[in-house]
Amino acid sequence: MKSTRALTPYLFLGPAALVFGFAVLVPMAMTVGYSLTEWTGVGPMRFVGLDNYAKAARDAVFRASFSHVLVYIAATLVLEVGVGLGLAGLISARRGTAWFRVAVFTPVMLPMIVVAVLWSFVYNPDFGLVNAGLAGVGLDGLQRVWLGDTSTALLAISVVSGWVFAGFYMMIFHAALRQLPAEIVEAARIDGAGEWALFRRVKVPMIRNAVAVAVLLCVTGGFQGFDLFFVLTNGGPYGATEIPTTYLVKVVFRDGDVGYGSAMAVILTAVVLGVGLVYARVQRGRSAASRGRWT
Amino acid sequence: MSARARRSPPRRLPAAVAQAGLALIAIVFFFPMVWMVLSSFKSNAEIFRSPFSLPSGIDLGHWTKAWEVAHLGRYAINSAIATGASVLLILLLGAGAAFAFSRYRFRGRGLLLSLFALGLLLPVQSYFIAQSRLFTDLAITDTRLALIVPYAAMGLSLAIYLLKAYLDALPGELFEAARIDGASDLRVFLLLAVPLLRPGLATVAIFSALSSWNEFLLALLYIQDDTLKTIPTGLLAFSSRYVTDYSLLFSALSLVTLPMIVIYLVFNRHIVEGITAGGVK
Repeated sequence: MKSTRALTPYLFLGPAALVFGFAVLVPMAMTVGYSLTEWTGVGPMRFVGLDNYAKAARDAVFRASFSHVLVYIAATLVLEVGVGLGLAGLISARRGTAWFRVAVFTPVMLPMIVVAVLWSFVYNPDFGLVNAGLAGVGLDGLQRVWLGDTSTALLAISVVSGWVFAGFYMMIFHAALRQLPAEIVEAARIDGAGEWALFRRVKVPMIRNAVAVAVLLCVTGGFQGFDLFFVLTNGGPYGATEIPTTYLVKVVFRDGDVGYGSAMAVILTAVVLGVGLVYARVQRGRSAASRGRWT
Repeated sequence: MSARARRSPPRRLPAAVAQAGLALIAIVFFFPMVWMVLSSFKSNAEIFRSPFSLPSGIDLGHWTKAWEVAHLGRYAINSAIATGASVLLILLLGAGAAFAFSRYRFRGRGLLLSLFALGLLLPVQSYFIAQSRLFTDLAITDTRLALIVPYAAMGLSLAIYLLKAYLDALPGELFEAARIDGASDLRVFLLLAVPLLRPGLATVAIFSALSSWNEFLLALLYIQDDTLKTIPTGLLAFSSRYVTDYSLLFSALSLVTLPMIVIYLVFNRHIVEGITAGGVK
């Protein structure tokens, strides 16, 4: 009796652990192993130590891909989190904005591939909405081949990302703002704070946890972005939108350089986990500090 | 908005102006989708000549043609199978694991819990290279399992995390009482824990269903057989076959998008809750 009892939790846990171990943990360990080899995916594997990591550090394309993704992340912090926060602020003081939330949140529902193909048409130089819109208001001079121009392609993709996720962050902030105690907001209003001051000095500081989560999601999600880039430019024009995810897919699945691709995958993973750890550390420090203040 | 408010801080914007401003923003967000549907009724020549004009009539001919040549029905069925099976696995295995973590103390608990927690943050890039080798060696690629298994594995972390939090919040006496009444562990799980977990299971189901339905990268790598492709990869294959047949492409996009918008409008609250809870963790 006693021994079967001891087995019980493992029986409940077993199937999940098996699936997770087989599809995630084992392949992750194998990827780390691959990264120490020179291997095309077939034939013999040659152990090369940390050579692939040294190669990644020297690889100009890989380094450029990191600066591109950092630019993309910076842009999406503004276009997703910033715009989402602004929109949540706009509707937080009003009633009857359900229709607005529905309209802005709808893109979150769509598969990224649908979004990407749709926006490849929005940016189409011949009949796309952007260029046609510019012509419509007499700004023909600003027309561009948005995705084919090295100076605009990365930003154009960031805008699509913002179009999708601004609504997502708006909802997060909207939910957080609704939880604020009404008395505090009212007190500030009675003290003569304008709506903008109220938003900036009272509401945003009070939902800073939600803002911190949103920034974490936006940054870690940004490093993993792939679908939009793959469909809209796949790294082009002239490598201007090459990011680590698109580059490593090319290296592994087009060039068959499994060892080198795995090293880049490990580096990317380390960066994402690193960001997560820094966030956890900061949050823990903050909550410890606030505990210290209150007790 | 900011500049205006700063100039005259104490005065609030007239409601009508604010409402009009919100409407304008909503239109900007929604317009690409409206444009997509309108363009699907136009001919290629009309699309090029006047991108903003209304179509001359509502001709569903492009839609029926797109439905057929794009094999959308087939892709939708494949997506439904991959999504349905993976969500079912996530709910079943996730609830079991969450029950074990919440109700029992056992050796290895902390380690296993932190491994699953790691899954909340792990990018797909950390494992998909070796996973694709593994699936090729085991002849799993180009079968339905190639998507069902990884989708289930990717969803488990969040499911366990959310469901465990639900179970932890329940009063322990509830389970003690059942135990004293002589119910077996399995009965306690199936007849007590699972029904109490219903709201959590719904949240997990919505989030996992949308992630699986929309997943692209693994579907691109693991499924070459067109008869097994899901909507994202199927649509991409179609769009590269008919690169310049814009009215057909707009129709296919509309056919994929409109049902999702309808589902969203019907289950609005639940979906928003599911997606944001899943995202925020």
